[in-house]
Amino acid sequence: MGIYFNEVTHEYASYSKKTYKAIQNISLRIEKDYEFIALVGHTGSGKSTLAKHMNALIFPTSGSVDIFGKHIAQKRDKKISYNQLRKNVGLVFQFPEYQLFEETVEKDIMFGPLNFKVPLEEAKVIAKESLELVGLDETYLKRNPFNLSGGEKKRVSIAGILALDPDILVLDEPTSGLDPAGKNTLMKLFTEIHQKTNKTIIIITHDMDLVYEYFNRVIVLKDGELSFDGTPDNLFRSDVLDSNHLDYPNTIKTLKYLKEKLGLDVDIYQKNVDDVVVEINRVIANE
Amino acid sequence: MNSIIIGQYIPGKGFFYKLDPRTKIISILFLMIAVFMLQNITQLLIAFGIAFLMLLIGRISILKVIKGLKPIFVLLIFTFVFQIALNTEGVILSQATMHFNIYSVIGIVAVFVIWRLLLRFGRLKILLFIAFMLGVYFVLRYINYLADFYSFQFTIYEKGIEMSVFVVVRLLIIITLTTVLTLTTKPTDLTSGLESLMHPLKKIGFNSEDFALIISIALRYIPTIFDESQKIMAAQASRGADFSEGKLKDKMKQIISLLVPMFIIAFMRSEELADAMESRNFVPGERRTRINILTFSMIDVYTSVFTLLCFASAIVLKVIA
Repeated sequence: MGIYFNEVTHEYASYSKKTYKAIQNISLRIEKDYEFIALVGHTGSGKSTLAKHMNALIFPTSGSVDIFGKHIAQKRDKKISYNQLRKNVGLVFQFPEYQLFEETVEKDIMFGPLNFKVPLEEAKVIAKESLELVGLDETYLKRNPFNLSGGEKKRVSIAGILALDPDILVLDEPTSGLDPAGKNTLMKLFTEIHQKTNKTIIIITHDMDLVYEYFNRVIVLKDGELSFDGTPDNLFRSDVLDSNHLDYPNTIKTLKYLKEKLGLDVDIYQKNVDDVVVEINRVIANE
Repeated sequence: MNSIIIGQYIPGKGFFYKLDPRTKIISILFLMIAVFMLQNITQLLIAFGIAFLMLLIGRISILKVIKGLKPIFVLLIFTFVFQIALNTEGVILSQATMHFNIYSVIGIVAVFVIWRLLLRFGRLKILLFIAFMLGVYFVLRYINYLADFYSFQFTIYEKGIEMSVFVVVRLLIIITLTTVLTLTTKPTDLTSGLESLMHPLKKIGFNSEDFALIISIALRYIPTIFDESQKIMAAQASRGADFSEGKLKDKMKQIISLLVPMFIIAFMRSEELADAMESRNFVPGERRTRINILTFSMIDVYTSVFTLLCFASAIVLKVIA
C-alpha cells in the first residue's frame, strides 16, 4: 500500500492555448512505511506539482496514480471519496502558518479531525497529543495562534496535519525561511516521528546538507522528468548533480577542498559536521 | 478566470481603441441616456442599427459581444416573458387556456427531466432552455383530458410583443455599449479617465487622485489575491475541508477557514505595500506627475460631435412626441 505513479504527466492549460508540462512520464513507487524521502530539483522542476498529486488535489493529464488502492485518473470518479485520501496522505504546504484561522490553537488543530467526523472529546485529546509531538506543551492550547512567534506558528500548523494521523506525510519545504538551528529542530522532529511510527515521510527541499544527513532515499526531478531515484550516497557519487544544476552538501565540498588543496586523504562522503570532524582528526592522527 | 468575458479587456486595434478613455466614458453615458429617452420601437430599432454599425466600424468581434451576453441571457428571456404575460393593451394576437391538471403536471415534470438530461450532452444550452419553455407552454395548453384543478387564460396582446421586444432591444443596446467600453479600454486607462473627469470634485474635498490610486491597487492585486486563495484552499482541503460537498453548517466553517487567512494575508500585504511606497517617497495627498498623459485627438472630437447629435435627436424626438 502506498502511492504509485504510472507514467504521470500534468499539463497546465493557459489562456493562449499553449500548455505547460509541469511533470512528464513520472513513474514512482512510494510505500507507506520505512521510507524517508527527499524530493529535490531546481526551481520549476515540478516538485510541488508532483506533491499535489499525492493527495489527489490535482489529477494527472495522462497516466494514473494509485493512492492507497484508489485509482486516480484524469476524470473525477463519483464513487471515490477524494476527501478520505487527505487522511491517508497528509500534505503540508510551504509557510503553513498562513492556514491558521481559529481563535485558539486547540480549535485550529481540531479542525482537521473534526472535518473527518471525529467526536469532539476525542479530537481534544488528539490536539493535545499532536502538540506534544511537535514539542509544544499544553499551555499553548488556549492561546491565540496569531499571537505566536513564527516558529511556534509553523509547529502548530504541522500539528494540525499530524492530528489527522496520516499514513504518509508530505511536506513542501518545511524548513524554508528558518535559521540553521530552526532547520535542525524541525528535521529532528520529523526524524523522531519517522522513527517512532515508521511512517513514510516525504520532504521537498533544496538543502543538500539536510538531504545527506537525514534521508535514506532521494528523488531528483529535472524539467519535470525523473532524473534520479536512489540513496543519497549513490547520488553524490554519481554525476547527476552536475547535470542538474544542483550543489553538493557542504560536508562533501569542504572535505573535497581539503583533499585537493592540502592533499589530505579524507573520505569525502561524510553526512554531518560531527562526522567531518571525526574524519579529519582520523586522517591527521595517522599522518 | 478565463471565461469571464463580460467586462474583460481584450487587446486589439480599431477605432475604439484609439479613443481617449474620457471621451468613451462620457459618450457612452450620454448615449445610454439618449437610448432611455426613446419612446417607440421604430426609434429603438434605429438606435440598435446604429449600435450595430458602431461595432462594425470599430471592428469589434460581434461574436465576443454575444458571448458577453451569455450571463444575462436568462434575464432577457424572463423580461421577455413577463412583458408578454403582463401587458394587456392592443389587439389580441393569441388567446389560450393554460390547463393545470394531473396529466399536465406530469407532462411538465417530464419536459423538465428531458431538459436536464439533454443539458448534459448538448452544448446548445440556450436553445435547450427556449425549447424547455416552449415545451411547458404546449403541455399546459394542449393537455386537457382531465378536469383542471386550476386554469387561467394566457393572452398575448399585440402591445405585449411590442413592449417585450422594446425592453429586450433596449437592454441589448445598453449592454453592447458598456461591453464596447470595457472591451476596448484597459482598466488602468479607465481609472485614469475617471480620475481626470472627477478632478473638479477636489473642490468639495473628494481627492480623485487618491480614489484612482485605490482602484488601481485593487485591480493590480486581483490576480495575487486569487493565487493566495487557491493556496489557502489547497491547504485547508489537505486538512479535510471539502469545498464541494458538505452540509450547510460545515460549509460555513470551511468558508471561514478560507476567509480568515485571506483577510490576514491581505492586511499583511497592504502594510508591506505601504512601507514600500513610503520608502520611495510616496506621500498621500501630495501632487505627483504622471508617465502616461491622456491627450485628445481629432477622433475624440468626431466622436463627441456624434454623441451630441444623437443626444440632441433623442431630446427633440421626446419633445415632439
